[in-house]
Amino acid sequence: MAGIDYAHRAAAIVRDAGGHIVGRTKFQKIGFFLEAAGVGSGFPFRYKHYGPYSEQLAAATQHAAALRLIVENESVANWGGQYSTFYTQMPADPSTHPARARLAQEMANADAVELELAATAAFLAYEKFPDPWAETARRKPEKAEGGRLERAKRLYLRLRQIPAPHPLPSI
Amino acid sequence: MPKQQRIRDPLHDLIQFDVERSQLEGVLWRVLQTRPFQRLRRIKQLGFSDFVYPGATHSRLLHSVGVFHTARRLMRVIEKYVPAKDARVDQALAAALVHDLGHGPFSHAFEKIGERFDLKMANHEAVSDMLIRSGEVSEVLRDMGSGFANDVADMVSGSGTPTIYSAVVSSQFDADRLDYMRRDRLMVGSQHAGIDFEWLVENLEVGEVQHGVDETSLKPVQTFVLGRKAIFAAEAYVLGLFQLYPTVYFHKATRGAEKIYTELLTRTITLIKDGSIEKTGLPKTHPLVRFAQTPDNIDCALSLDDTVIWGGLSLMADSNDKWIGSLAERLRDRKLYKCVDVRAKIAHDKDDGVASSSEADEVCAGIRDEIVKCLDEWSAKSPDEPPRILLDEVERSPYKELTEEAKGPLSQINIRTEGDHLADLSKRSNVVAALKTYKAFRLYHADGDDEARKKIMEILDAGISKWPA
Repeated sequence: MAGIDYAHRAAAIVRDAGGHIVGRTKFQKIGFFLEAAGVGSGFPFRYKHYGPYSEQLAAATQHAAALRLIVENESVANWGGQYSTFYTQMPADPSTHPARARLAQEMANADAVELELAATAAFLAYEKFPDPWAETARRKPEKAEGGRLERAKRLYLRLRQIPAPHPLPSI
Repeated sequence: MPKQQRIRDPLHDLIQFDVERSQLEGVLWRVLQTRPFQRLRRIKQLGFSDFVYPGATHSRLLHSVGVFHTARRLMRVIEKYVPAKDARVDQALAAALVHDLGHGPFSHAFEKIGERFDLKMANHEAVSDMLIRSGEVSEVLRDMGSGFANDVADMVSGSGTPTIYSAVVSSQFDADRLDYMRRDRLMVGSQHAGIDFEWLVENLEVGEVQHGVDETSLKPVQTFVLGRKAIFAAEAYVLGLFQLYPTVYFHKATRGAEKIYTELLTRTITLIKDGSIEKTGLPKTHPLVRFAQTPDNIDCALSLDDTVIWGGLSLMADSNDKWIGSLAERLRDRKLYKCVDVRAKIAHDKDDGVASSSEADEVCAGIRDEIVKCLDEWSAKSPDEPPRILLDEVERSPYKELTEEAKGPLSQINIRTEGDHLADLSKRSNVVAALKTYKAFRLYHADGDDEARKKIMEILDAGISKWPA
């Protein structure tokens, strides 16, 4: 799946998120929610301990960077690690579903950990867990604390309120 | 004398299970006797590597026992820093033993096939999780307590807050890696990539490091760090693992065999799903046929192992489907495709120093797209012919990548400084700092397929001629 078409699709996620996305985690979770809402790019997602993840999207992102469709800059976070910011100047596509840009931009402005929690809960809902939020908190206790889980729920509600071809599950 | 169960291991020598005095070891010894665990005898740790290194036929069963043994050593390190007995010690030791239960035939190559068909039971993490939480293994583990099996499954999957106990299962110094890199080196017969294991373990400490997600900080977590006297051992450790990739794990013949296997099973599963079992050469009762027909059935996944595939090759070689027949014969008889190393050609045509550069990445991306277009055209003309070119793209950074999250202290090797701070090894070792990501891009074609080879060379020459300014 690492063809040029998929590199363009990965770059289009950055474009529709407003031209830049801060962080690999956020990039992945935006890609996941776009697929879930029916306005995605065809990337399959699987569960990893850091939530829904697509190796194909990761490979396509790398491919897009090699083709200079996107630019990846690394920065140092205040906790001592490095994180990436992705930029693109890809021109807008008028045929893009309006929900896609609204969803992507809402997520691009969200906190990365809260977005990860929301994406994890949504993934677990598709996996038919009876209480996806409780399971998310159990799996990611250090991320769910400090009010993040509640904020993740509010973020999820905002995403769910954006009309999309496939409504996100009610959880 | 209390009864001990003993296993002789070429790497660790004697591995003992104290089945009378230790409830955990008694339970884990019984886990060894279960069908899911015994199946690991028939899954080789290194898949097709014995095509290159005939000695590399060791099984995932013995590796798993070795990981458990190594995890016990790591627990003794933890005890020096965290003296109180914690329930997570037993969970981590059990997780070390059962972490590989879900691997399918030829492990990682099988996962690629699973991705193509979205087969959950070809994902070793999902299968391991199911096998630990329910079924025969779970029943045995429950003798340690009703929630023990689930706790072990969580430890394997990485759920929960990272702790020093989960670091035994997954970290830069986890028991898995400390076993496989030594075991694989021993069994392939390589004399490079050696590490000073005893000195590393002697100098392992428990330290607290920062971590986070993207820009966001999280609470510090405990993990293994190294004392200051281990700097050269740490350097050799990083280098040793790094060297195993080009020489063993990413060897061009091994990868070439994996690509043939992937295409063979892709075609076989496609035909089975289409109801054309008779074209595959396999009987209707063959485990691979049953798996393709009911891919969500865990019992069908458990019936697969390397020997099932090897046994099927002669049947598939007689298939009247040319794709299956030719690729099965190639795999059975080790008649692999010929390899064209794209980055080696770039190094030759341009300069050795640029073969892994961003410019080379851009050229490789363009070459890949042209090759894919060419394959699509050939496939449209002859849909029942096997692919005439197989692509292989892999890369490996010097440090093991543990998460998608930002690079940071949890994904690097932290070494204690003279001032009692923790520093990334790459800041203390010029050798490690100089290491660059290893990248390989290969194209394979059948020997004698001059048209395919000519096309490859044309695309390569055209791609390299467009070297970015």
